[in-house]
Amino acid sequence: MNKNNSPLLELKNIHKKFGKVIAIKNVNLKLYSGEKLCIIGPSGSGKSTLLRTINFLETIDQGQIFFQGKEVGYVYKKGKRILDKAKNISTLRAEIGMVFQHFHLFPHMTVLENVMEGPRTVQKKSKDEAKQIALDMLSKVGLLNKKDVYPVCLSGGQKQRVAIARALAMKPKLMLFDEPTSALDPELVGEVFEAIKKLAEEGMTMIIVTHQMGFAKEMADRVIFMENGEIIAQAQSKEFFSSSNMPKRIQSFLNKILE
Amino acid sequence: MILGLLFFLFIFLIPIAGECLSLYQQGEQALAMGNLAKAKHIFYKIPPFVNKQKNPDFLKARLLLARLYYNQKKYNLAQKECLTILKYFPNHKETKSLLHEIQNLNQPVIIQFFKDTYKYLPALLKGTLMTLILVLFTMLVSPFGGLLIALGRISRFYPLSSLCWCIIWLFRGTPLLLQLFFIYYGLPALGITLKPLTAAFLGLGLNYSAYLAEIIRAGIQSIDAGQMEAALALGMTYSQAMRRIIIPQTYKRIIPPIANEFIALIKDTALVSTIAMVELMRSADQLFNTYFDVKILILAGLIYLILTSIFTLIFEKVERKVGAYEQK
Repeated sequence: MNKNNSPLLELKNIHKKFGKVIAIKNVNLKLYSGEKLCIIGPSGSGKSTLLRTINFLETIDQGQIFFQGKEVGYVYKKGKRILDKAKNISTLRAEIGMVFQHFHLFPHMTVLENVMEGPRTVQKKSKDEAKQIALDMLSKVGLLNKKDVYPVCLSGGQKQRVAIARALAMKPKLMLFDEPTSALDPELVGEVFEAIKKLAEEGMTMIIVTHQMGFAKEMADRVIFMENGEIIAQAQSKEFFSSSNMPKRIQSFLNKILE
Repeated sequence: MILGLLFFLFIFLIPIAGECLSLYQQGEQALAMGNLAKAKHIFYKIPPFVNKQKNPDFLKARLLLARLYYNQKKYNLAQKECLTILKYFPNHKETKSLLHEIQNLNQPVIIQFFKDTYKYLPALLKGTLMTLILVLFTMLVSPFGGLLIALGRISRFYPLSSLCWCIIWLFRGTPLLLQLFFIYYGLPALGITLKPLTAAFLGLGLNYSAYLAEIIRAGIQSIDAGQMEAALALGMTYSQAMRRIIIPQTYKRIIPPIANEFIALIKDTALVSTIAMVELMRSADQLFNTYFDVKILILAGLIYLILTSIFTLIFEKVERKVGAYEQK
């Protein structure tokens, strides 16, 4: 890790409301290139919302987001803050890969076409080039043999691995995982973890929202605990799970989950 | 010399022509009094030739007799009169068709039906062709019109979405017949005169676009929101996501209701017969007014059934094809 450089991603003072409900309150966060960050916390604590603000699937009410040192998502005109052009936001999203809890594979395309879709449509790569990238990514997640089937024929774990390959095909600088294993049967969790772990070992920068403490412990360099839209604790992974130094609330949460 | 000859002919012909006319009139008078035998006696005096020219009164008189016999179901006598006429006027159509009908009476119903079908079919098929042109045009145009209106309707740009709402409201809320009348008969009052075919295309196209728009909108909105998010998260723009991800997934869902509309369309094309378009319904109507034969209406109904059946089969096939990715 090289903390001397500017962070890859920086969130400053983020606020977000859904109507009257406060979803995120005063979140500040720095993420350096190569870092693996896990966000944990009870459901409804704003973990997923926070993740989704990073690639503007949710807009923010207040605060600033910096990606590679530049502020993104908003422009300022005559002192007013307005949402950036859709095209610029799309460009930002293309550099950030996202994996969803429910996979969201495109059901009308084969596995290969799913993975080719980003390079083809967004990056306008040639068909051959896109296909080569897609095949590489599929072999990385171990699903080369499924390249010509439709998503309906895959198990949950396979779907999620294809979704990871689809995000990776864009050669993102940052990967966001939104509870990647929560919708899976327990016996399928392992294969998805393996795929993510392999990615981590290659040095990918990633933020993972998860309920799997074991996974967080193994994967993360740093862990953030959120509750009621706020970050109430953050620590290096080892420190975090060695419990004794942590606030009571977190200990009780961990105990409940690890039971 | 020639003038003299003409004058001579004139003087000579008039009395004979006059006499024959009066014979025919006498016969008619006898008929009016209900005396068929006397009328026949008088009619038989009319010669087939007058001065080596064919005599039209002979034809009129004998044909009248033939008809009378036919109505009284004396088919042998009627046939005899017809044959007599055809001996002198071998190409007379009315007589031929009457004779044909008399001879048909002795044939089995099935053969009669086929013969009549053969007689009506050319005109009906010509009408069917026009019906098909209208149907195919509307089927090609209205999905695109419908898609545009649907996309406008779900747009967050308020003026556009309310405009599209109004289009749907207007064309769904008034009868198609009224819309066609307005376009064809009403617009000329505003200085716009359209040909019947243009008016029919416009009316059917707009009406069906409005109906399909709601089906397509429902289709788009039925797709899981996660699909749009996944597409956007990949870096696609809204229009790329719509074109590549969302709209292709709607096909399977919207084809059954759209097929339903298109079947209704085949039948709705009959309405354009009211704005001077000769399609299947109008052809059947014209034939029926000439022959008063119920078979014409049955035939038209059969043709409509064949058309709807063919299209139903096609739509079922298309539906299976576009939904193939959902089968394991």
